[in-house]
Amino acid sequence: MKLAEMEQTDKGANFENRGAVRPFQTQPKLETRNLKAFFGKTEAIKGISLAIPDRKITAIIGPSGCGKSTFLRCLNRMHELVQRAHTEGEVNLDGANIYGPGVDAVAVRRKIGMVFQKPNPFPTMSIYDNVAAGLKLNGVRNRKRLDEAVERSLKLAFLWEETKDRLKEPGSGLSGGQQQRLCIARALAVEPEVILMDEPCSALDPNATSRIEQMMVELENEYTIVIVTHNMQQAARVADYTAFFYLGQMIEYEETDKLFENPKMELTERYITGKFG
Amino acid sequence: MDMGLEKLTNLVLEMASLSEKSVSTSIEAYSTGKNLSAEIKTWSDELGKMQDEVADLSIELLARYQPVASDLRFIQSSLEISYGFFRFGRYAYDIAEVLEMFGNLSDCDHSEVDITAKTTKEMIRMSIDAFAKRDVELAKNIGKLDDFVDEKYREHISKTLKDPSIGLKCALSATLVLRYLERISDHSAYIGDSVLYIVSGERNPMK
Amino acid sequence: MQTATVESEKSRKRSGNLRRRQLVDRIATVAIFGAVILAIVPLVLILADIVIKAAPVMSFGFLTNLPKASPFSPDQGISNAIIGSFVMVGFASLIAIPIGVGAGIFLSEWAEMRFAWVASFTNDVLAEFPSIVIGIFVFVIIVLATHSFSGYAGGFALAVIMIPIVARTTEESLKLVPNSYREASMALGVSRWRTITRIVLSTGRGGLVTGVLLAVARVMGETAPLLLTALGSTLAFRTLSQPTESLSLLIYFYGTSAYKTWQAQAWGAALVLVVIVLALNISVRALTRGKFITGGD
Repeated sequence: MKLAEMEQTDKGANFENRGAVRPFQTQPKLETRNLKAFFGKTEAIKGISLAIPDRKITAIIGPSGCGKSTFLRCLNRMHELVQRAHTEGEVNLDGANIYGPGVDAVAVRRKIGMVFQKPNPFPTMSIYDNVAAGLKLNGVRNRKRLDEAVERSLKLAFLWEETKDRLKEPGSGLSGGQQQRLCIARALAVEPEVILMDEPCSALDPNATSRIEQMMVELENEYTIVIVTHNMQQAARVADYTAFFYLGQMIEYEETDKLFENPKMELTERYITGKFG
Repeated sequence: MDMGLEKLTNLVLEMASLSEKSVSTSIEAYSTGKNLSAEIKTWSDELGKMQDEVADLSIELLARYQPVASDLRFIQSSLEISYGFFRFGRYAYDIAEVLEMFGNLSDCDHSEVDITAKTTKEMIRMSIDAFAKRDVELAKNIGKLDDFVDEKYREHISKTLKDPSIGLKCALSATLVLRYLERISDHSAYIGDSVLYIVSGERNPMK
Repeated sequence: MQTATVESEKSRKRSGNLRRRQLVDRIATVAIFGAVILAIVPLVLILADIVIKAAPVMSFGFLTNLPKASPFSPDQGISNAIIGSFVMVGFASLIAIPIGVGAGIFLSEWAEMRFAWVASFTNDVLAEFPSIVIGIFVFVIIVLATHSFSGYAGGFALAVIMIPIVARTTEESLKLVPNSYREASMALGVSRWRTITRIVLSTGRGGLVTGVLLAVARVMGETAPLLLTALGSTLAFRTLSQPTESLSLLIYFYGTSAYKTWQAQAWGAALVLVVIVLALNISVRALTRGKFITGGD
């Protein structure tokens, strides 16, 4: 079968007007409805409706250019910061549309944090200041509250033991894996409800990667995590649910073990077994 | 990865033909009274080694490539299927041993064993074909024949219990052989289930 | 046999090429070093000339005393010019740094706006404007309007020269700040303005300081616009509302005077000016050598 045919059959088979795809029973934390994302006139996300479960890890996989990162950036309104980019459709956080009229994008991002592909601690700040940055820049001055937030976040990111004696040193002096955990601590410090991770381990070695994965599983108890990754094994290791994106569309969204053991869609099968293209 | 999977397929198919040969040889020995147990023992041991090879190769593929989807299901099923073929060899040897233990059985009635053996061999053939061709329909049909073999086995037991004229030697030997054939049939059905799992990802709910 | 001949022919040709390439390489290296030396020689000559000619007048008193009406009076000095220069440049900086930095932020952070492109182009034109034209402009709008030459007018003219330089270097140094830091900050729920002031400016501050220092160094030596605005003065500096002396003006007037003593003092003032400008440039070097942008890509 040709790829194009497969797309036809796959699409016809499953996703016609079924509302948000939701492979779980509980109330979703985030839910997109017919979400579309544009760069200028190019449509990068072509109407995706899916629901993300509360306090679970959801992974998005797909080939380069499938729109998975763009989709992620739509979930906390980062996409619109790109020149000439805009979105259509809804993203509901606990049932309220974050693209609704009068909703402040800055406030949305406080609830839905983000960790990026490359570790990017602020170069002019110490470890402490990096973690406290979100709170400080939002006007928190209370020393005690900052201290507590920094310690709590660093502990959650498994970085406390390594850094507690050198909080005043620059964040850029840490190793790559430590820097990424610092960035995760920085995101956690503002106490978001959802954490979006855009290929957080792609610049890290296997050891650092496994520490971050371990941490994600720990964080799952308190946070809803959405991770975009091109490393399928990583999705298989950490995610409870996995969605497969292709050419700006969602092809399949399932419990992770089901998706990797027995995908319903021919496209998914071909992608995850490495027989693509 | 693809080369590894091909090698795995070939290895399992090799086991399939050797196990088929073992079973039919052992039944032939039973029917004709020829002592072929030494030969069958060699084959059975050979199958044991090959099963280890399949296991090693499967683990290697899992460790190296972390396969998913149909690849993963194939490797898992290969482990199950190769175990089935290994069991065929063992039961073939068990059947050959019956002859050795009981000595000359030419006076006994072989008709029931012959009929059942024919079906069992058919089932082995079907399981091998189903695996080789990934034929789901064929795989599903194996289960139906399994019912026939079970029925034959039960029939034989109740008949033997009611009719003391058969003689202990004939009764016991036929019961044992039928028991082994019944086991082989079961394993054929399992192989069919594994084939179903490779192709569709579904487990047989009846198992 | 035949192939062997062909082979050796080939290798000979290849080594011939190699030799030619090596020769070209050597010639180019020599030519470039020659050019560098030619460029440095005038600078060294000028510096040496200034030092030699300034030496006779240099003394502590020269820096602290005031000019005298008569070229033959003893204990002449240029203190009013040094103070005037610094005060006028300081006043110019007070105007130019906020405006220039602000404009630079706009040009860098709102680069996607069409107006930013227009502003950027205008800024480039202004940066290349002849400074005498700026002098005339300020002469018309301030000196004629207030009926008085003044240090304010001079400082204002210098500010107009500084603004585009500060704006351009601010823009360049902020554009060097990787976008990932802006995104990281925005993703923490920090507003755009706070992201710019607290993250972007702080990350790009090295470049910013460099730009300001370069602008200061540039206007320190400006003469033409000051002739039309600050005018110059032989009196002690008191206030910017009066005509004000500067080092460059003093060099111009004394240098073109008929008296040997004043000409010698012009050389002395020139040395002071050169030392100030060099010091500014050296501090820029020291700053930029450090890693004022880290972790960038």
